[in-house]
Amino acid sequence: MRYPKRIGRLSVPRRKVQLATAAMLLATTMAACGQDDGASAPKAPAAIPELTKDPLTLSFIWFEWPPAQALEAFANAEYKKERPNVTVKVKTVPNANWHDAMFTQFAAHKTDFDIAILDSQHIGEAVTNGNILDLTDFVKKNIDVKAYNPYLLAAYGQFPQAETGKRDENASLYGLPLLGDTWTMIYRKDLIGDKPPQTWDEMISAAEKCQSENPGVSGLAFHQANGSDAAAVTYNTVNGVYGGNLWDAKSRKIEGVLNDAAGQEAMDVLVNKMKPLTAKGSGNWFIDEVNAAVAQGKACIAFNWIAASGGLLDPKESTLGATREEILGKLGFATLPTQKTNLVPLGGMGMHVSAYSAEANQAEALNFMKWFEQADVQKKWAAAGGVPSRTDALQSPEFLNAGPFNKVYADSVPRMRDMWNVPEYARLVDIENTNVNAALNGAKKPKDALDDIAKEQQRVLDSSGGKGGGGL
Amino acid sequence: MSDPVPLTTDHPGQVASATPPAPGGSRRLSDRWLAVAFISPALLLLLAMSVFPLLWALYLSFTDYSATRGGAAHFVWFENYTAILTSAQVHLRALTTLIYVVGAVVLQTVLGFTIAYLISRRTHGRGLLTTLFLVPMMLSPVVVGLFWRFMLDAQFGVINSMLGSLGLEQVEWLTRQRTALFSLIVVDTWQWTPFIMLIALAGLTAVPKYLYEAASIDRASEWFRFRTITLPLVWPLLLIAVLFRAIEAFRLFDLVYILTSGGPGVSTETLSFHVYKVAFLGFNTGTASAYGILMVLIVIVLTQLYLRYLNKLKED
Repeated sequence: MRYPKRIGRLSVPRRKVQLATAAMLLATTMAACGQDDGASAPKAPAAIPELTKDPLTLSFIWFEWPPAQALEAFANAEYKKERPNVTVKVKTVPNANWHDAMFTQFAAHKTDFDIAILDSQHIGEAVTNGNILDLTDFVKKNIDVKAYNPYLLAAYGQFPQAETGKRDENASLYGLPLLGDTWTMIYRKDLIGDKPPQTWDEMISAAEKCQSENPGVSGLAFHQANGSDAAAVTYNTVNGVYGGNLWDAKSRKIEGVLNDAAGQEAMDVLVNKMKPLTAKGSGNWFIDEVNAAVAQGKACIAFNWIAASGGLLDPKESTLGATREEILGKLGFATLPTQKTNLVPLGGMGMHVSAYSAEANQAEALNFMKWFEQADVQKKWAAAGGVPSRTDALQSPEFLNAGPFNKVYADSVPRMRDMWNVPEYARLVDIENTNVNAALNGAKKPKDALDDIAKEQQRVLDSSGGKGGGGL
Repeated sequence: MSDPVPLTTDHPGQVASATPPAPGGSRRLSDRWLAVAFISPALLLLLAMSVFPLLWALYLSFTDYSATRGGAAHFVWFENYTAILTSAQVHLRALTTLIYVVGAVVLQTVLGFTIAYLISRRTHGRGLLTTLFLVPMMLSPVVVGLFWRFMLDAQFGVINSMLGSLGLEQVEWLTRQRTALFSLIVVDTWQWTPFIMLIALAGLTAVPKYLYEAASIDRASEWFRFRTITLPLVWPLLLIAVLFRAIEAFRLFDLVYILTSGGPGVSTETLSFHVYKVAFLGFNTGTASAYGILMVLIVIVLTQLYLRYLNKLKED
């Protein structure tokens, strides 16, 4: 079969089509690249704007864990009494995606959440990029700051980062506390006795003895995974207990500080004394795996975040007893042992208003935060399973009686230390996570791992805002 | 005032006809215009979804742009490319990726072809067997990663449980340097061997029967028939399957993310996983774009070399 010949000139000259396509691409590129948005956090109004009477959904973003469900249930039960037209939705993502889920939306300058629940260390990145509202004026007018431990208020809202244990009253605030948290030591009373070990050395000895006396039960269980901040928090905790420092915040110096003698000793204790007491294959354990080991009676002593420990007392999830009381007969919760210092890791998160949320939603978010930080609401939040930050709520029977680990939190507050709250946090924590995980799993020698952390982290801090090749 | 433009032609047969189009207004809506009108939606979609992002990534790769930090993008020219190509971190990930690609593709090819060969020799139940073998390929890699993560768990995984019942020691599949990469290769092989098998089966089915009949008449051995008839005829098709699998394996991300998170340390971090970290942990968009462009270039160059070899094979 023969095909007919093409007749006549091209109706649309090829050159024109090419030019039009090129022009369109150029225009789109210019439009896409033209967002010159020198970032700085926009200010929230001091007074809450008029609230809408229309139905409104106030969205939070958090990672998937029990406090997220507790918050949604609590807010819809209590906040609705004050604002019946508002529904609270807590959107959750897997822990490992938490940072990406928030900051990719921030990067797009469009968020499907109104309140971002940020880790304290994320604040620097969000503030520097102008992603969250500056709440300083709002806090001055609406929040009783004296009701808080100053460091808790600073840790979940202040930027630049506060010195450990203090708050700079002249610094700006970008968030308010939502959930306080720290590590608790979970120990088997039936295996190592009612009295928890007081020092880190005692703790290791007790774990060693317990492991040798109870075949099938490992001495220790703690976070070792290389995702999120798992292995990094573990090392940082031991580092703090052994008198080390993560950095010199003023001179932004990490090399020579993190890997000094105290830092090396901490790494040695972690890898050579603690790791041999853990279960085989526990090198990728995080919150859930540690809880599972405790609930199945497979660990003598474990360390985990308090906010994630509630499930341990659920008889349906535990092999340690048929009732909560029976489980509590075997499990004890205590503050972390001390050694050269008594530092404990600061956990928990604050609430931050998205700069890209609609005005009505931002107003509602501010109203929610004002409501949430009231004394009676904080006590109800404590009773509902939350960990409040107001001192009066922390000392209230509602909180102290809600769980056996709540007293641990209240006692730990003056001992807390945070990581680096700088825009480069995500990279710093990844460097530390991967190297500590490598040391724990035999992929690197402990000293090499620590030296590599210090060197690589220093490079990240030094090259901030530098030229090409950033991020490698 | 010009003549109104007719929306349709009066002569439906005109497109296929050798007769020149009628002069006047109808020329304005020629077959070329119609063709442009019909393909433009698809073309625009392609431009918006593929060409523009690629060009933008190319532009960003020469800048220090960060998606979250905002501000204007400053040209750093080839600094991103130089930094990537000279980075020891990248070299390490490239080596890991290479070991993974070679290990996974070789294993999948050998297994896939063997299974296809065995299935092709069956006369009964061939369809059912093929369907069963294809099931892993139809699953999402995330789902596959999750259930293999449970199966490979050192404490309560079914694999170690089976090893234990055989009196063997527990293996830390996902937390030791060597076993972690090996586990990734095994899981990828479990999922993607059926793909090679499918293509090889198509090739094996297409081998003319008379060649085997002639070989039988000549009393050729089974091995001789395989070596001189089966393999040469299936080989080109198998190589195309290998090409597809190699490209897929080169950009492996999901299994690493679910199974090992790149660990222990960074020992199972592939290039794609590293690009993800550069792009989303530090939001170094410029560097990540250059990294992505380099990966595309590597795939294009290797594919071209491979295709040339295939063409040569065809010509021979």
